[in-house]
Amino acid sequence: MPPNAAAIRVGGLHKTYGKTKALQGLDFEVPIGRLTGFLGPNGAGKTTTFRAILGLTQPDAGDIEVLGLGVPAGLPQIVKRVGVIVEEPGLIKTLSGRVNLAVAADTLGFGHERIQEMLDFVGLSEDADRKAGDYSKGMRQRLALAAALLGDPDLLILDEPLDGLDPAGQHAFRARLRDLATAGKTVLVSTHDLADIEALADYVIVIDRGRLVTQGTLDSLLEGGNTRVRVHDVSGARVALEAAGFEAQQDEVGLLVMSREGAAIVRALAEAGIYPDEVRPEKSTLESVFLGLTGLAVR
Amino acid sequence: MSLLRAEYRKITRRKIFPVMTLLLVVFVGLAAFFLIVFGEIAPEVAEGLPVLEKPSVYTVGAQQAATQFWFPLILAVVLLGGELSTTVWATALTRDARKIPQLLSRFLTYSVATMLAFLVAFLLWVGIALFFAPGEGFVETDELVGVLWKSGLIAIAWTALGTAAVALFRSVGPAIGAGLAIYFAEGFLALWDPWENVSLTAASTALFDVDFDGIFSGLIPGTGLTLWHQLAIIAGWTIMGLALTWWGLQRRDA
Repeated sequence: MPPNAAAIRVGGLHKTYGKTKALQGLDFEVPIGRLTGFLGPNGAGKTTTFRAILGLTQPDAGDIEVLGLGVPAGLPQIVKRVGVIVEEPGLIKTLSGRVNLAVAADTLGFGHERIQEMLDFVGLSEDADRKAGDYSKGMRQRLALAAALLGDPDLLILDEPLDGLDPAGQHAFRARLRDLATAGKTVLVSTHDLADIEALADYVIVIDRGRLVTQGTLDSLLEGGNTRVRVHDVSGARVALEAAGFEAQQDEVGLLVMSREGAAIVRALAEAGIYPDEVRPEKSTLESVFLGLTGLAVR
Repeated sequence: MSLLRAEYRKITRRKIFPVMTLLLVVFVGLAAFFLIVFGEIAPEVAEGLPVLEKPSVYTVGAQQAATQFWFPLILAVVLLGGELSTTVWATALTRDARKIPQLLSRFLTYSVATMLAFLVAFLLWVGIALFFAPGEGFVETDELVGVLWKSGLIAIAWTALGTAAVALFRSVGPAIGAGLAIYFAEGFLALWDPWENVSLTAASTALFDVDFDGIFSGLIPGTGLTLWHQLAIIAGWTIMGLALTWWGLQRRDA
């Protein structure tokens, strides 16, 4: 695979269920070796996209490439290299965690040699011989993650894996995902929880109504277009900046200037004899970016 | 082998198999009570019912056990339907490079499980017949071999219909509905002469070459068909069921 190739490349994806247009020309790329957050409101088309990537849903139009292989032609090879938790994890509650992994390994054509390692990785070694039905939801999700990792996949696709977990379960699961990202795995995670994305992802894809809204690194998404200025003479600074053509708002912290031209802001203040204590780009929250991009706040 | 091991582990730990086997045993036990015990304990009330004597009573028992066609139908629908409702197993069954072994391992496991359940029900019948049926004699080895291969063929054919139903409907509820609709419709159609020649119910039921006297005389469909004709019908339905299963699993929207 070329060095800058995407792990997943989706182009012009359309899917209609009856009168519902689930996907309307969706395009995005998932970079290799990163933990990518797949974000969208309910009904945005996240699960349909995941099912299309796995070949379980046939798109009406569009192209999908996974790990350099086309879907559906390359699916027999792709399936071996992708670990998945989408919808129900498929655990058998009457079997122990360890036997569940053995069944998964046998069914998916992997050996048993990684079972103990994966139990250790997800922190279930001590509970491995208990029935999966006695596990908490968080433990079941971690067991599903262990099953998804049995084949040492190049790509992990996880559909809302943190949904319904208690804080401790979320913490444990996030830690494992962070470990995977550190190990250089490509992980694609969809979630409703913006805090999860902010805490985990270093690349974000936002979709809404079956279309791409934006994609990029988390930092670039949160960068925003404003500059924070802290200064003693707030009123004087505001007058000076407005005289220089900047739009500025005064708040309890200081001044928020609607521009990213930090040097020009400093120059304008200096020309007015005002020297700021701090000038820095103002970061947005993911929530404000998400609501702004999807228009959900006004929908 | 690893696929068969996985299927063995799954089916032996799921409640559905012992529960359905228990239900099968109850059904066959009731039939045994009605056809064997009832005549012995209340002959005046049982007038007109067939009198089953040893050793032919055992063949009737095999037929009674192996013609509980609902068993393989529902077992296959519930087990395969459960698999298709999860993305991981659905992916393995429909998109894996080993799709055929994936499907065949399940098909074989369900068929063997059905045969075992039939055998358990048959043994119950044998136990009841030993004590209550008049006459002498026990199951001959040839008879037992016949029971095994015939019940095996029936299990395979009806399992194929069950897997086809779930592969086509992709949901347990509608697939059970469709399976039972086929079961009842086929049962009625088997009594209609033109359909009898292609009827799976008729071929499966007549395979044991049993006929009753008394009020059930002549009621068993397919008794006029030759053994080869019966086998051809069963093979045809099996192939059709497997082909529909394969086609259903290949459809992209899983």
